[in-house]
Amino acid sequence: MISTEDVLRIASLARLSLTENEVVLYQKHLGRVLDYIKDLESVDTLGVGLATHVPTDSVAFREDKAVDSHLAAALIKLAPEHEAGHFIVPAVMDADQ
Amino acid sequence: MSLQKLTISELLDAYSRRTLKPSEVVQSYLNVLAKSNPTLNAVLQVDTQRSLARAKQLDSRESEIAKLPLYGVPIVIKDNILVEGWQATAGSKILENYRSPYTATCVERLENAGAVVIGKANCDEFAMGSSNEHSAYGAVKNPWDISRVPGGSSGGSAAAVAAQMCLASLGSDTGGSIRQPASLCGVVGLKPTYGRVSRYGVIAYASSLDQVGPLARNVWDASRVFEVMAGCDGHDSTTSAQTVPRYTELLKTASMKNVVVGVARDWLEGVEGEVKKTFDESLELMVSAGAKLVDVTLPSSKHALATYYIIAPCEASSNLARFDGIHYGFRSQQKSSLNDLYCLSRGEAIGAEVKLRIMLGTYALSSGYYDAYYLKANRVRSLIQKDFEKAFTQCSVMAIPTSPTTAFVMGEKSDDPIQMYLSDIFTLPINLAGIPGISVPCGKDKAGLPIGLQFIGKHFDEATLLNTAHSYEKVRGQWDLPQLGVV
Repeated sequence: MISTEDVLRIASLARLSLTENEVVLYQKHLGRVLDYIKDLESVDTLGVGLATHVPTDSVAFREDKAVDSHLAAALIKLAPEHEAGHFIVPAVMDADQ
Repeated sequence: MSLQKLTISELLDAYSRRTLKPSEVVQSYLNVLAKSNPTLNAVLQVDTQRSLARAKQLDSRESEIAKLPLYGVPIVIKDNILVEGWQATAGSKILENYRSPYTATCVERLENAGAVVIGKANCDEFAMGSSNEHSAYGAVKNPWDISRVPGGSSGGSAAAVAAQMCLASLGSDTGGSIRQPASLCGVVGLKPTYGRVSRYGVIAYASSLDQVGPLARNVWDASRVFEVMAGCDGHDSTTSAQTVPRYTELLKTASMKNVVVGVARDWLEGVEGEVKKTFDESLELMVSAGAKLVDVTLPSSKHALATYYIIAPCEASSNLARFDGIHYGFRSQQKSSLNDLYCLSRGEAIGAEVKLRIMLGTYALSSGYYDAYYLKANRVRSLIQKDFEKAFTQCSVMAIPTSPTTAFVMGEKSDDPIQMYLSDIFTLPINLAGIPGISVPCGKDKAGLPIGLQFIGKHFDEATLLNTAHSYEKVRGQWDLPQLGVV
């Protein structure tokens, strides 16, 4: 079982605001899954290499040539708030900072 | 014969004999979709005008039929795959207003081959789920029994094919998300080798596991869709440069004779009685058609679930960081600082299961835990890959049930995430190993619910996989979809 503080710390790292009910739910569900994945502690992996990449027989390279994607304007229009090709965000620092 | 009964190969025959036109066929499928979808909720968006306009264009290109391998074939695309001008919500509220600015390579290839997109399929949010109950746009119902789930996460794609709303659909499979719903809905679903199909234009869940594949009524149809979209793509550096065979040509000489099928009996624990019985009967059928069975072992596969639920959430927590209330779709309207804007937008618009997986990944990657979780899981992933490599020195394909159960009742597994995750126990290891797998209907339980048989192949050897699955279909005999009008 993990603590309420743990849930809030993880949620903060993950940039997720949680309601009080969600904190209770995730305390239970995160605890359940973390308990389950402890299963791996019993596996002997001494000397076993990392599978950081799935084996593919070949890696494809394309020609090293600049290609225009023409997508920037279309992509920025999908933002909830934008102006003149820029994303609008709240002030990063408060006025009194 | 009713138009809806035709398979892709039969439809293409009818087109080449000039007895049908794409506009009639597309209209007919749109009619079925309009009738059944209010009950099933399999499709989230249709654009009748756009689809019919495209079908009419194809009507006038009759002379090009021979050059268009999917001429006039109505298809549905999972809503985490981009089709220019169509929505792509990935089943999430955070992308509710998102309109795709470009088309995914896999869909572009299907469209260039003459396919007509007629809808975007519902799915579990960001492809995370095994029941399609985790969609912000409501659950999908199983066309065989609407009190039951269609499986997930490509539940809408599977239900749409089973309910004859389309001839084929695209899904994505990170841990079983094509094969498990295919099994629960009684259709064919293929997860290709990692790197076989471009992921450009597919909303990422876990990038080292995600792969796009077709769902269809039979193996030939799935092979046709697959051969059109597979192959190297300059937009996705993980795609392989290996030549893509013409799988449908190879199927002409497919035979079960002397195919060595590996069976990992130590892996079959926990399989429901009727599923196990039907699986054993399928093996007997294969033997009667000339296949040879060998016992293989996959000792590390029992750790696949734990391994997957570290690796996939870690990758997801990173991939989904881009949904921040600034770049896409939803933004919280509460006045706030920048950090609060991130937290509130994500908190208000991301669903419960996705939040759980983001937090799991964040935890596993956080300072002090990285070695114990992420690195450990990657080492176990190596062991799982090695098990398969070893098993494939003894056989050319393997067989296993796709899912340990048939379609379960809605809500049945909602309270315990592990119970839900166990639905993918036979599909997850295949993603971790990066190899291909296909689910083919092999029978029904006493309640009349379909059971799926999964074949597993070697890296980039979809040819043997599809040949075996196609040969199995021949000995199994005819497979009927649920009757129209029942849903």
